Amino acid sequence: MSENPYQTYDARILEVKDLTSREKLFTLRFLDPEVGEKFEFRPGQFVIVDIRGFGEFPISICSSPTRKGYLQLCIRKAGRMTKFIHKMKEGDIIGIRGPYGNGFPMEEMEGSNLILVAGGLGMAPLRSVLWYAIDSGKYEHIWLLYGTKAYEDILFRDEIIHLLKHGEAMNCSVKLAYEVESPSCIYLERGFSDRVCRGVVTDLFRGEEFDVEKTYALICGPPVMYKFVIRELLDRKLSPGRIYMTLERRMRCGIGKCGHCIVGTSTSIKYVCKDGPVFTYWDALSTRGLI
Amino acid sequence: MRYIKLPSENFEKFFKSLEAWGTVYAPVRKGSIYSFQEVHDPSEMALDYNRTMLPPKKFFFRPKEAILRLKNGRWEDEVEAEPMVLFGLHSCDIHGLKILDRVYLDEPADPYYKSRRERTLIIGISCMPDEYCFCKSLGTHFAMDGFDLFLHELPDGWLVRIGSVRGHEIAWENGELFEEVTDEDLANFKEFEERRANAFQKELPQEGLADMLDLAYNSPVWKKYAEICLACGNCNMVCPTCRCYEVCDRWMDAYKAVRERRYDSCFMENHGLVAGGHNFRPTRLDRFRHRYYCKSYFDPSAGYNCVGCGRCDEFCPAKIEHVKVLEEVRGSLK
Ligand SMILES: Cc1cc2nc3c(=O)[nH]c(=O)nc-3n(C[C@H](O)[C@H](O)[C@H](O)COP(=O)(O)OP(=O)(O)OC[C@H]3O[C@@H](n4cnc5c(N)ncnc54)[C@H](O)[C@@H]3O)c2cc1C
Ligand code: SF4
Ligand code: SF4
Ligand code: FES
Repeated sequence: MSENPYQTYDARILEVKDLTSREKLFTLRFLDPEVGEKFEFRPGQFVIVDIRGFGEFPISICSSPTRKGYLQLCIRKAGRMTKFIHKMKEGDIIGIRGPYGNGFPMEEMEGSNLILVAGGLGMAPLRSVLWYAIDSGKYEHIWLLYGTKAYEDILFRDEIIHLLKHGEAMNCSVKLAYEVESPSCIYLERGFSDRVCRGVVTDLFRGEEFDVEKTYALICGPPVMYKFVIRELLDRKLSPGRIYMTLERRMRCGIGKCGHCIVGTSTSIKYVCKDGPVFTYWDALSTRGLI
Repeated sequence: MRYIKLPSENFEKFFKSLEAWGTVYAPVRKGSIYSFQEVHDPSEMALDYNRTMLPPKKFFFRPKEAILRLKNGRWEDEVEAEPMVLFGLHSCDIHGLKILDRVYLDEPADPYYKSRRERTLIIGISCMPDEYCFCKSLGTHFAMDGFDLFLHELPDGWLVRIGSVRGHEIAWENGELFEEVTDEDLANFKEFEERRANAFQKELPQEGLADMLDLAYNSPVWKKYAEICLACGNCNMVCPTCRCYEVCDRWMDAYKAVRERRYDSCFMENHGLVAGGHNFRPTRLDRFRHRYYCKSYFDPSAGYNCVGCGRCDEFCPAKIEHVKVLEEVRGSLK
């Protein structure tokens, strides 16, 4: 293997699936089985995707390490490079390096309840946690609170609806909030009146109480979401050390060199790429500019 | 540390002997500024220089360089570096390199930086501060390590401190050029250092600096200076410890492309921009303040991210003075 950390490894696109009009799910496998074997990751880590000759960009791994042999990335068409990858097809080759970042402390949370709070594209990294938690069976109960714009924007819609129906058997309760009304949403709401509602993700906390001694919250969503979700959790007396969030910054290297993802001030500087992207709320209290 | 003496009359021979180690770069005067350039004769050097515009980081972390080359659909790299001798580095610049080392040699190491660093001989030289220097306040005015040889000026030659195994090898191989250090040499060395310590005109009181700055996050002083600042990013380019880079792929022809990186500046608007147009440091105020926070971050094991070289002051077109900004921010707290 190359000693050069900027070198990427060939991965074949096994499948491309439209999740919404803006997001596609790419299923990948490393061409070299040895590279695939060595590639181990934790939920919450990310990779750098390399489209040779066009550039690189960071993407969270959205599959779970419990499901081996492939890697999944959910990519939103956001600009130049993501537009390019959206045009790629099954069989095409891209480069991958990583995994990077700290990921969620899954072992530490074993035996506890997990509250996953996802907003929009934030569902992508949390899906890795979700399936890891369900597959491993090492967690007491899993809540997924998912806020989305409209029915058409629900990422992994089949899986979400499946979990709405059968989640309890897997110790998993799903709650969904949507903002734009549509017949499909109303239909869902009728079927699961206690778990689907019109509103924002924080509305899903209404009426929920949890055992703060045995619960962790994991949050991912657009920058504006954090403040509101954290307030709900603190109101319920969850300790800042039990609130994990995964953040996004501009990234180039992913390994603490290029300086783009630096946040903080003279008393505390953090690299989102290597100290994060997962941080606790304590980190946010001591490092300005984190959220 | 081992100390030896290089008498003035042997200087040229010693200098010539260095060419066996690699291409020699040293400070050269170009108009009103100095810069590190390839030299072949001691007469080309300006060893009494104050500071070069670009610090020695340019040899390890280049202003612009290809990191990968695309050939037949695969990235190839050329990591192997040419051996170099950097002659005449000031103590602050040696400290600057140590700070860059912490970033670029930290695992996973940057292979380009590492390879160049390993193949480069560092020879320090003593200096006298000018009106911009404040390295003494930061403890970077004397280098205890980070060099192979360090030359301290004496009336009749140089007191040489040997800082590495390679330094020992050079002294060994050129044994006939060196002499033992006498008491008189030591007295001269001490006298020079005292004269130098008293020559600093600028001081940065650093007690509680990091905490003070953090408390003054909303100080109006940041705003005042952000309005004067041209956001040109010069201060980043010339800083021996600034090391942000931007990456871009470029096609050479239909079959070949390179992945290039080049110096980036946190003053640029797109430095904190992410997809969808969200910017984590949208205003010039945010970016101006960020630079000061980054430079004043204190790492208990390595000190500040500023070595007091004075480059950002000398080369700022808006005449913004680093120490003055920090002192005004401190003043605004009271
Ligand atoms: C840790 C992490 C995880 C991410 N996970 C996902 C994910 O799972 N799914 C997803 O769709 N998106 C994710 N993103 C965002 C994704 O990286 C950006 O959408 C993507 O880089 C946009 O590139 P572009 O060229 O299409 O966009 P443009 O807006 O055209 O980008 C212009 C330039 O800015 C750079 N850039 C823009 N946004 C970012 C960014 N956030 N980070 C670094 N560079 C950026 C691009 O590399 C490009 O060179 C993640 C970002 C981070 C930091
Ligand atoms: S060199 Fe001066 S004007 Fe230019 S960005 Fe730095 S502080 Fe601003
Ligand atoms: S901040 Fe200014 S004085 Fe400090 S090391 Fe950088 S250029 Fe030199
Ligand atoms: S992405 Fe380069 S330092 Fe974090």
